[in-house]
Amino acid sequence: MTNDNPIKLPTYLEVPAIKKDAMAGNGPFKASEEVQQGLGFPGEKVDNWQQVAIDKMAETKSKYRSVQVFLDACVKCGACTDKCHYYLGTADPKNMPVARQDLFRSVYRRHFTFAGKYFPILVGAKDLDENMLDDWYNYFHQCSQCRRCAVYCPYGIDTAEISMAAREVMNVIGAGQKYPNQILGKVNKIGNNLGMPEPALRDTLEDLEDEIKDDTGVNVKLPLDVKDAEVLMVTPSADFFAEPHIDGLIGYAKVFHESGVSWTLSSYASEAANFGMFIGNYDVMRQGALRIRKAAIDLNVRRVIVGECGHAWRVAYSFWNTLTGIGSGGSDDYSLRLQRQLDSNYPQPQHMIEFTYDLIQKNKLSFDKSKNDHRVVTFHDSCNVARGSNMGDIKNGQFILPREVIKAACNHFVEMPKNTIKSSTFCCGGGGGLLTDDLIELRVKGAKPRMHALKKTEQENGVNTLAAICAICKSQFSKVLPNYDFDPYMIVSVHQLVSEAIVLSESSDTEV
Amino acid sequence: MAEILGAEVDEEGYLLKVSDWTPEIANAMSEEDGIELSPEHWEVINFLQEYYKEYEFAPAVRVLTKAIAKKLGNDKGNSRYLYSLFPYGPAKQGCRFAGLPKPTGCV
Amino acid sequence: MSLISIFFTFFFYISVLIFIIGVSYKLVQYWNTPAPLKIPITPASLNTSGVILRYFREIFLFSSLYKSNKWTWLFGWCFHLALVLLFFRHLPYFWPGEVPLILYKTEVLKYSSYLLFFGLVGLLSRRFFVDRVKYISSPSDYLMLLVLIFITSTGMLMTFGNNHPNMLLVTNFASGLITFNWSELPKEMIFMAHIFPVFCLIAIFPISKLLHAPGIFFSPTFNQVDNARKKRHVSDWALNKQEGSKIDIENNNDKKE
Ligand code: SF4
Ligand code: SF4
Repeated sequence: MTNDNPIKLPTYLEVPAIKKDAMAGNGPFKASEEVQQGLGFPGEKVDNWQQVAIDKMAETKSKYRSVQVFLDACVKCGACTDKCHYYLGTADPKNMPVARQDLFRSVYRRHFTFAGKYFPILVGAKDLDENMLDDWYNYFHQCSQCRRCAVYCPYGIDTAEISMAAREVMNVIGAGQKYPNQILGKVNKIGNNLGMPEPALRDTLEDLEDEIKDDTGVNVKLPLDVKDAEVLMVTPSADFFAEPHIDGLIGYAKVFHESGVSWTLSSYASEAANFGMFIGNYDVMRQGALRIRKAAIDLNVRRVIVGECGHAWRVAYSFWNTLTGIGSGGSDDYSLRLQRQLDSNYPQPQHMIEFTYDLIQKNKLSFDKSKNDHRVVTFHDSCNVARGSNMGDIKNGQFILPREVIKAACNHFVEMPKNTIKSSTFCCGGGGGLLTDDLIELRVKGAKPRMHALKKTEQENGVNTLAAICAICKSQFSKVLPNYDFDPYMIVSVHQLVSEAIVLSESSDTEV
Repeated sequence: MAEILGAEVDEEGYLLKVSDWTPEIANAMSEEDGIELSPEHWEVINFLQEYYKEYEFAPAVRVLTKAIAKKLGNDKGNSRYLYSLFPYGPAKQGCRFAGLPKPTGCV
Repeated sequence: MSLISIFFTFFFYISVLIFIIGVSYKLVQYWNTPAPLKIPITPASLNTSGVILRYFREIFLFSSLYKSNKWTWLFGWCFHLALVLLFFRHLPYFWPGEVPLILYKTEVLKYSSYLLFFGLVGLLSRRFFVDRVKYISSPSDYLMLLVLIFITSTGMLMTFGNNHPNMLLVTNFASGLITFNWSELPKEMIFMAHIFPVFCLIAIFPISKLLHAPGIFFSPTFNQVDNARKKRHVSDWALNKQEGSKIDIENNNDKKE
């Protein structure tokens, strides 16, 4: 994880002049026939792909108001052009949000609008030909669906919606991306993105229990498939496998231990992440959500809590209730059953940060903050949490709660520059189904705006720890930090900070 | 499909079939990456394979580091050391040399 | 009536008809297209009154644009403000019958045409001089601004220059369009040059980017309340299994090994 030639960054960010075709290319690896078919998509590009694509576009825009309205409403004001981290990092004009949308919009105009049918040149309407499809594949896989552009658009035009629609169209004609589609196949079969089977999961959890016991002398449990537990914990599977994620998992376990609330993980639904969102497919996304609903019912839990994962939290918070009726207001059988089963005193689902924050508010956790005194911490707002969800049901809660949790565990907390945090946060560069080795150049370049901000904070405040609540952010940062002359180990989970400072009491009922 | 010493690999260089693996393949792969396999490398590779045989899955990095700590001493049982052996990551590069499938997901 | 008057009268009604039919079609289309998921850009309002406030800020102040780019905001905001003011300035012409006194006071609003001109030239120069904006501009984007500048210029020339058409004729013609009491159009070329492109813009409204005006109200990222956990948000198709889908939603509760 070292890099011999790290990029020396200035602490400010300049908007680059456009460099045409700077990121031209073939895009990421395509999904194999087997992978495609597993999700119900054609195994390879179908013969009449143009027609299939146009039909799918028509269907998509008739099912999603966002797509229809966004295609019409853009006035090409250019306000979003310098807001995308991929444009800022690559200077390729097709990475400007509006230009990215225009890849889709120009085809829409050509096939669906009067002006585009009769005056294509005047309004920039284009046919969907091989070149256009190549551009779609390449540039819609250079969008992390972070929604930063939408914050700055006067009409709230969200390029993420367009890139989801485009990926859906591409999947339907048989041009899917390997990384997300392969992973979705594993979730549907095994239950998590890793493809980690139950015995391996069980073994890993036991290993972690031993580790905590060795470190602290306290029996902290990481229960798996325990029926009638109070809480079902659904967390990104990276928390079981990767560094630094796993220390966050240990943090959750310690918090649960201290809270006295019984909890369990599920081997059937051992994944919070839902890549169905990235590929814009409603059914696939719903299937992921249904697994979790089934686990909740089977394990007869009273609450569902989601671990540190950015887009998972967006899906859980904003979509789960729609997809599966897990919150209140649903009227189908399962929803009603869930409403009876789940504890209505709590929002369903809840974020782990909300759970920990609540306990802190109620003074139920004690911390030895000096344990984190070697750290000067800053917080990276993950896009999907910042711009697609809320926490605590208070305005700006998604910004307030994680910071309060960090501050409860650390003495030194500083912010990065204002235009790079909260709703203006820059994506880590690896979100939206792009966290794959075949896109590493893009990932390094896309991280640049965040790295600038971090560099500034390092120089001004001596920041040495970057905390995040997203599995993708954590993996992406540990990979790209060395490219920018940072220590890859500076990225931590928020619950790792909690884990290091929390004071464990032996008295809890988890004694064995 | 690309091949290495007659065994099929995917576009990222991972063996398609775990059973195709031979030590020569590990050597050839590491050579391509500019790494000479030391006994420490082999400890990691062997552990990965043993674990995989039992669980049909690669061990979590934490599990791996602890196993290595037991075998090679505590000073080597940490992720920094493993990264010095496998600069592209002990999980990914290690699995590739060991002939195991690539760990996917947000890792 | 002269041929030219008949032409303009006719053209006006055609434009307005296209406008009404086209915009209604679009409104119905937007209305009927479901928004299956909760996608407000957060932090969004947790209740309905907040959504109204959000719209207020976006429509009257262009708050997102302000955050985004101060120059574009300045030009764009001036331009839209002047448009509104000049709408009132033109009202007396169209007013059927006795014009209320208050409308005469709108005379001073004529100076806002400078603001309009300033905004338009600013927006146009961004298209020429900012390489990013230039890249995303189609011919129609320039054309739209040029037409608006042309309309503004002819209007200003009539108002501030020496070639003011006969006010009575203008009023009779314009209010006649509203009351179906048609009358001759002033014969000055500049007047025709002023109103012709205006009628054109009315006609192309529903097939151009001018749709941003109704569109903003349908933007789900703006108009949704952030309350997904409390209130289930559903739309028809989303509850049913997608046609051709391999996913077995109904039997999802049977664990397959
Ligand atoms: S900010 Fe919105 S309206 Fe302006 S160019 Fe971008 S997408 Fe279009
Ligand atoms: S959603 Fe994010 S990555 Fe995609 S175009 Fe907008 S700013 Fe860029």
